Amino acid sequence: MRAVAASILLFVAIQSRPAHGAEPASRSGVPVHAAAISHPPDTKGPAPTVEALTHDRGVAAGLAVVPGVIAHGSGHYALGQRQTAFALLLSEGIGLALVIGGVSTLRATGNSRYLAGPALAATVFGAGLVLASFGADLYGTLATDGDAVDSIPRAPPRFESEFGYRYVADPRFSYGHFVVESLTLREGRFRLAPSAWFATDSSNVRYRVEAAYRVLGLEPGELGKRDDHLDLVLGGLHQRYLPEHFQRSGLEFTLDARFELAHLGDTLRGSFVDLALGYGRARVKYDLVGLSVPTDTDDLLLARVGLGVLLRGRAAPGSEAKLYYDHRHDDYAAGFFTPGRISGVFGKFGADFRWFFTPRLGVLLDAQVGSAVVGGVSLLMRDGNRNTGRAP
Amino acid sequence: MTRCWKGSVGFCLLLQLACTRPAEERTRRDLEVGHAKSAALDVAVAAGLAAVRMLSREQLTLWLSAPSSDFSLVVREPLQLEFHVENAMAALELTDLDANQLVPIVSGADATKKSWLLTLTPGSRRFRLAAPTAGKNGRFRFALLSDVQEAIDRVQDVYRSINAQPELDFLLGAGDLTEEGEVSELERFQHELATLHVPYYTTLGNHELGERPPAYQEWFGRANFQFVHRGVYFTLLDSASATIDPLADDWLDAWLANGRSSVHVVAMHIPPIDPVGTRNAAFASRAEAAALLAKLAEGAVDLTLYGHIHSHYSFQNAGIPAVISGGGGATPELGSDIGRHFVVFDVDATSGIVSSRVVPVDQEQ
Repeated sequence: MRAVAASILLFVAIQSRPAHGAEPASRSGVPVHAAAISHPPDTKGPAPTVEALTHDRGVAAGLAVVPGVIAHGSGHYALGQRQTAFALLLSEGIGLALVIGGVSTLRATGNSRYLAGPALAATVFGAGLVLASFGADLYGTLATDGDAVDSIPRAPPRFESEFGYRYVADPRFSYGHFVVESLTLREGRFRLAPSAWFATDSSNVRYRVEAAYRVLGLEPGELGKRDDHLDLVLGGLHQRYLPEHFQRSGLEFTLDARFELAHLGDTLRGSFVDLALGYGRARVKYDLVGLSVPTDTDDLLLARVGLGVLLRGRAAPGSEAKLYYDHRHDDYAAGFFTPGRISGVFGKFGADFRWFFTPRLGVLLDAQVGSAVVGGVSLLMRDGNRNTGRAP
Repeated sequence: MTRCWKGSVGFCLLLQLACTRPAEERTRRDLEVGHAKSAALDVAVAAGLAAVRMLSREQLTLWLSAPSSDFSLVVREPLQLEFHVENAMAALELTDLDANQLVPIVSGADATKKSWLLTLTPGSRRFRLAAPTAGKNGRFRFALLSDVQEAIDRVQDVYRSINAQPELDFLLGAGDLTEEGEVSELERFQHELATLHVPYYTTLGNHELGERPPAYQEWFGRANFQFVHRGVYFTLLDSASATIDPLADDWLDAWLANGRSSVHVVAMHIPPIDPVGTRNAAFASRAEAAALLAKLAEGAVDLTLYGHIHSHYSFQNAGIPAVISGGGGATPELGSDIGRHFVVFDVDATSGIVSSRVVPVDQEQ
């Protein structure tokens, strides 16, 4: 099922490329040239190839599914991209080892309090690697416009705002409709991002603020061909559930990273993996009339893996689509229910689709499936010119 | 337009993946527990506090989920009925409520199995199964045992230790009796219980969900229910899917109101909050967990009991004393030196939870 969802995502991404593939045009009709980017053009050239088993990308994509679902990289192998194929197979192997190691540790130790956190993190990242290597193989065999990807500038905006609507379908709570607002401000290596969700049909609100420091990666105004980055993120959260008589407030710390899969091979240009790992701690305060109830504290593992693609063609820079898994259990979508024995462990699955009509204006479609289903749309606005930044 | 359509297909696929009420079907099946019909006889157990294990023209067998239970029979033709009750307290009596008299027992040789012979004429009849002390307030003792799972071959050690406890009224279970919940495993579990001197009142755990639909309720009765023993209220909830179904949550409102002015013990398998949050052997939603705990605190619940984690934890949630005890023998939690165990509680309807103590099984052998 996840593979089908990944295929749909990739298909939509590829549909957005121009008919002739290699030379995209900006929305204003002015061509965006790779020369506008500060980084030198990729001098490596295409990865060394050996004789391809097939030149038909449809056949290669089929091989990426069967036997690719077992041996990741099969599609690239068929295209003669042996190095990339090997990298994807290695990623699958590492991912499987992490999953097997994590699950075995959990089972053998009876979910030991000392090992459960690391074992779960290993399992999440391992599963992420397995799914990402499969998705990347499929993407790389289908995507033909890697050069076009290289002409998309990647400067992060100094300012971005979101205003939107979310529907939360949760039979346990009376809320359903939310107005969502967020603001992201960047200065140098620092980022500040306050956000809020307000229920329009219940007394429920969630405030969140993130302060981040970019350890590695592009800063606003800095153009680059790749958007690999590593951020240290400190987050604060306050949620009020007035009808349910409690408030939840917490602090969290995460390492947030993006890795462009182009590092594994030119065919993978335009795809990326997002990873986040962290720890959160929260207080739950109960507001019961006439009762003095002690506050509870709890902690949670934060782990997130996602596979995404840059949208090109008619989409302005900043457009991307992403499928992800998020292990957190304390937000509206919370953790995923499974019908059988394994209950409560999983986080949520989600999909993001950001489409910028112009360098400054876009929409975000967002869906999450956990113990609740969350979906909605936001209007995105940000600063920036055609290239969403300036060349240094 | 085409792209919109593709996006819609993707969103629908995500919705297909979603299951926001995994326990709904199970919870609705609770309403059928204790009800059965045959050509000659209908049986209806009040509040579903017993599973009808066998109903024919000659025989009716109930598996009790509570120390006392009322039931009614609708008889369509004259019958001589063998009435068997399993999972019964040693002093269980059968009262004909219409005649207001005890029905003489035929067999009570086994500690938890009782039999009567009923001569029935067409019409409606009401009966009560209860021990003489069931309705009288006073101090009593019960024990908590959960998470036997794959250790069923060694469970007799645990039962021997439980049988050695003096003055135990019953054993309470917080789920995970079996490894997969298969019929053969449920049958084996009931067979092994024959040596236990006290009845075992339990709800199910996530390990009973291997079969679809789970067979648990046919064997052990309701997953969500409440009973009263000597003035103390016991509410057992089905949290096997890491949530409480909204229908059961509605029932809980009434059960909390029932127990508000007395001592109230609430038990379920998966705890709302795991004391080790990064592990999250707990509800799938922290918000649902907090909402449930706020409700329990508002309902003046005196004690919460959980299983699922194969160790022993004693803590507070929303100010309510909480015990996690998963010591039935399933793979023990590394780093916890408790091993197989059960917990014994002394309670009193007026004094509350008087005491509790952990009884390690393997150290006693």
